[in-house]
Amino acid sequence: MKIRLSSSCAFLAYTLLVLIPLWLALDRLIWIAGPNPINWIGSLDENYISQGVVGFTFLQALLSTIVTLIIGLPIAWQLGRHKWPMQSMMKAVLTMPFVMPSIVAAMGFMHIIGRSGLNIRADDSTWYTTLIIAHAWFNMALVIRFCEPVLSTLEPAFEEQMRLLPAGQTKIGRLRKLWAPLLAPSVAAAACMTFVFSFTSFALVRWISLGDNTLESVMAGLGSSAGIPNYMVSRNEIILGASLIQFTVLLSSLWLMSILQQKRQSLLPQASEKFVKTNNNKGWMIVGPGLFFAVLPLIAVFWASFRIRNSDLSETTYSWGTGGWEFAFSSTNSMPSAWDALYNSLGYASLTLCIALPLGWTLAQTIVNVETKRPRYARFLDILTMVPFAASSVMIGLGVMLGMIRIDAEFFYSFWLTPIIAHVMITTPFVVRIMLPALRAIDPSYDECAQTLGLSAWKRFFSIRLPLLRGTILVATIFTLAMSLGEFGASWVITRNSDWTTLPIMIDSLRSIPYNNSLTTPAACAVSSVLMGITLLLFTWAEKFRPSKGGGMF
Amino acid sequence: MLECKNLEKSFEKKLFTEFNLRLKPGEIIAITGPSGCGKTTLLRSICGLVELDNGQIYLDEKEITNIPTEQRGIGLIFQKPVLYPHLSVAGNLKLGNHKGDIAKSLEEVGMAGLQNRSVESLSGGEGQRVALARALLAEPRVLLLDEPFSSLDDELSTKLVNEVREILKERNCSAILVTHNKVIASNFADSVISL
Repeated sequence: MKIRLSSSCAFLAYTLLVLIPLWLALDRLIWIAGPNPINWIGSLDENYISQGVVGFTFLQALLSTIVTLIIGLPIAWQLGRHKWPMQSMMKAVLTMPFVMPSIVAAMGFMHIIGRSGLNIRADDSTWYTTLIIAHAWFNMALVIRFCEPVLSTLEPAFEEQMRLLPAGQTKIGRLRKLWAPLLAPSVAAAACMTFVFSFTSFALVRWISLGDNTLESVMAGLGSSAGIPNYMVSRNEIILGASLIQFTVLLSSLWLMSILQQKRQSLLPQASEKFVKTNNNKGWMIVGPGLFFAVLPLIAVFWASFRIRNSDLSETTYSWGTGGWEFAFSSTNSMPSAWDALYNSLGYASLTLCIALPLGWTLAQTIVNVETKRPRYARFLDILTMVPFAASSVMIGLGVMLGMIRIDAEFFYSFWLTPIIAHVMITTPFVVRIMLPALRAIDPSYDECAQTLGLSAWKRFFSIRLPLLRGTILVATIFTLAMSLGEFGASWVITRNSDWTTLPIMIDSLRSIPYNNSLTTPAACAVSSVLMGITLLLFTWAEKFRPSKGGGMF
Repeated sequence: MLECKNLEKSFEKKLFTEFNLRLKPGEIIAITGPSGCGKTTLLRSICGLVELDNGQIYLDEKEITNIPTEQRGIGLIFQKPVLYPHLSVAGNLKLGNHKGDIAKSLEEVGMAGLQNRSVESLSGGEGQRVALARALLAEPRVLLLDEPFSSLDDELSTKLVNEVREILKERNCSAILVTHNKVIASNFADSVISL
């Protein structure tokens, strides 16, 4: 009875916090733009603001996926098939980019290609390549996390047997007949997720590209003028058209992803991680540059926070100093200090955690509770919790913004907690995904046995369930905090016109200040370094609790 | 002491119907039957883990049919020992009774001095002994045993059957064993019934 009540409350809270804002936003946009989806999609090419956006979004996502696989697969192979010194640390460094806030990555790449780096940023022919490489940097962790476990835990007898058969006597033969079929679902799953993340890329596109937009950045840009009756109706159509395409692509990718995940699970004849792997000194030629590539943008950000430009009419020189840090941590008339942004970010992240963790956990527990007796209902609940996955962060931000306009715009714009709604919408589905496998893995007899020992429901929860889930809860906690701290797309849509600046928003605002202030760029990098430091700390902590087998992106 | 009246349960087929049983204090009964006949479900129903379709259960004249498992005062030893991996042997035993004498309980089941061992390092037989010690620490009015000897080899199984019977008799603890093995049933119990 108590369980049923908590499940009902969780689904009610989820509906109120997550589904209703999206529904209200959609309803408002349709009310203004009209109910014709063909018009919405057609408007994308009719308006100069969004011309060519669909093509650019698809092409850059496709190229990013290909380049990510080209970079990530050889690294995954080396890590999975050979022995490396400090392997877990190497794996952590190589997969760290995925948890880095995208705005930090954007700052890093801008400095590598900017004036104090390679100085190629203003070159029209190079920014596209930079964008693709930045996406590959961000997503190579997915390839490694999906493929490395398959390679490292496959029963060695499979390859040994193959070597003795005519079809597997050459490396190419073994690749074709053994590794390719075994790795295909994992590679496809990683490619699928990379495509999704590149397709919905916002911060990297906003800062690296010169003028071109993705569907995501167009929606973010037009969001502030959407939802107002009889005002720029075409912009509402563009947002609806972009949302519809994006929603369809993301939904199809998630569907494909879930099929591939099932195949991965059924195809993996995992044996043991203990079998002896061989050293491969030549492999350093792949892993070494991989490690350098993973840390380079982060080093660039930190380095640039101390690099101050001095320009006069005749020349531009650079000097070293802490001016950027001082500028960032002192407030001006137009900009709050980094302390304020840090407090806001930590406050939002903590409150998001307080809501998303229990909510996601209860939702996951409800799914697990009903899946034996009512599998169809469980599947429905499972899909319901994944709805925000099919909406990008900008779409979620727009949902919250337009939703609050419908309810009480004045109140919500001045309400400090408003961005938390978006953060909860974004993080809750991840908590559900992290908690589900752990909850499923708990042997039901643990609870039954405790009942026969006379333990009450509370005692069972605190003595058995909680300690067994401790590692997973910590991973979910850290992941939620990291995601909320680095969240940019939704916060940018919701808070850019308010006082509630977060660290990512402050980085963006500092970089947007005209170039004549020589301290804004190092200050943006100083704030990025703070955000990077916190994320690194959280990531290192999470790594301690991550299960070694199974892979996956979390 | 324990009385089952007209117990009835079906899942996809009828497992048992009009099952009646009277268990006296200190008495040990064995219930035998082929696999799938509902032996485990019967035990799970008696301790409240499975809801009955019909029938009443009384313990010391008090009806307990609708009382939650944890309040019934009936212990259960599972077929495979259920030991919590995040707790040591002593930690597992404390779940039965956190004020109980852990050292004495372990000594009683022939596992003296193993309080700090990790449960993952225990063999099948050792695991069952720890599970038994824990169940007895909870001082159940009746102990149910769901084929606890079936996963052990013959020699160990015979040894454990005798030891557990002795412990239960010393404590005057009533027990019901379900098993498909008629030899174990007759060696362990005072009387044997077929399901």
